[in-house]
Amino acid sequence: MLSEVTNMLSSWLGRKKLLIGLALILMMTGLLGPAWAEEVRSTRYRYGEREVSTGYYEEYEVKPILYLPGGPLMRKGIPLESAPTEPIRWRTYLTDTHLGIRDYKRHHDCTDCHPQQGRDRHTVRAGITCDQCHGREPISGINHYWSPLSPIRRHAYICAKCHEGASVSYAEYAVHEPIPAMLSTRQTFPFLFFAFWMMATVAGGTFVVFLPHTALWGIRELLIMKKDRAESESKQQD
Amino acid sequence: MSPNSKTRIRRFSPVQRLFHLLLILCFMTQATTGLARMYIETVWGQRLAWVFGGYTPSRTIHIYVGIFMLCIFALHVLYMLSKVNWRKFPGSLFGPDSMLPQPRDLKESIQHFGWLLGMAKAPRFERWGYWEKFDYIGVCWGMCLLGATGLLLAYPLVASRIMPGWGLNVAFWVHKIEAILAMGHVFIIHFFIAHLRPHAFPMDRSMFEGSVDLAATHHEKPDWVARLEETGKLESVLVPEAPGWRRAFHYVFGYCAVALGIFLLIGALVNSLSITW
Repeated sequence: MLSEVTNMLSSWLGRKKLLIGLALILMMTGLLGPAWAEEVRSTRYRYGEREVSTGYYEEYEVKPILYLPGGPLMRKGIPLESAPTEPIRWRTYLTDTHLGIRDYKRHHDCTDCHPQQGRDRHTVRAGITCDQCHGREPISGINHYWSPLSPIRRHAYICAKCHEGASVSYAEYAVHEPIPAMLSTRQTFPFLFFAFWMMATVAGGTFVVFLPHTALWGIRELLIMKKDRAESESKQQD
Repeated sequence: MSPNSKTRIRRFSPVQRLFHLLLILCFMTQATTGLARMYIETVWGQRLAWVFGGYTPSRTIHIYVGIFMLCIFALHVLYMLSKVNWRKFPGSLFGPDSMLPQPRDLKESIQHFGWLLGMAKAPRFERWGYWEKFDYIGVCWGMCLLGATGLLLAYPLVASRIMPGWGLNVAFWVHKIEAILAMGHVFIIHFFIAHLRPHAFPMDRSMFEGSVDLAATHHEKPDWVARLEETGKLESVLVPEAPGWRRAFHYVFGYCAVALGIFLLIGALVNSLSITW
């Protein structure tokens, strides 16, 4: 019995192609993973690949975020910029985000209070008005569970109006992007901040080196031409 | 001197000149359509866009010319790979005719800076100066960066399937800054060094004609001429001057490109404070 097993093993080990094939099967099985591994993949991947603008999800996928002391950002471990802004941030979770703001009705233009929000490409280039995305009064907070701008349905209810086929991933585009050069952007949008400064350094470095280089080159050649001309004139006079 | 006397050294092959011609045409189109969209809030930008039929057609042209440029770039990479001497690889990559940066370039650039400041003798350049290699590598780098970010921005729905949507914000700024760098470098530095500096004035015709003046090259690239003389190849690369009508065409075409570049540069600078960045 033992000798049979030994013979079988030795014959298997002698077949290199068979061993390579088995190794490949094992590797592929490991790479693909079992079916249940699909469930633990990131939601972004799942939405990006499979779901396009239906707007309908399972209950566990659209469960509203519960309020906990410290605000949702604090709960995620993201430090708030300053304590006084905290109640304003919570407003993004209200049904009427402007509820209780004194003299609110006197303002006719959103950019009176949100000047930076009127300086994005959607507003400036495409002429999109605020209420086309945020809705009419009462304007619900963008994170409110029932708001059309809520991250769970923003792609279907808002983005897809113009961008047919918008996915959850697509809706992560920051329409009101922060100014990339600002230090505060490092906290809110670090990728944009570092990409901007990396590119600005490359561009600035090129100009800092090559602009004086070019100017000096022109001046140097002018001086040489002037000197050569003076020399040739003096030779002619001699 | 007879018109057929061979007074110029062949520097660029017809294929290389064709690549450069296509690059000029595509780059100018991309610069104009790109600035038209970037400056659409201003009258200057609206007039630029009007030439192409408005904002949306400018975008369409920008996308398709960009894709065409990427195809040309891919062909150029294949062309360059076909020119590599694979039998002597990788040593062949670092010969005097190679565009790859070498230690010699660093030494020459430092010495050249010294010469510009009047503190050192002029370096004896070989076939390619360090600034020419920088221009060439800059184009390759720009094509990769502008091409990749441009494709992401042109097809955002597809792009957001392979990356989060906020990646488009990043791609937009990378595309914008790289485009500003490319336009600034070409319209100021490249145009001045190649066409407007006293030694090259009124125009360096080498990229159009394919050849450079022998006497001027003796002065500017002495090591290249010396190598050709030593190896006995100088006679074989000497060519006559192009006919007058061709030279006139080169001047007209070249100066049209320079004028358009300067117009775009000045317009962009003057209107830069009137747009939403």
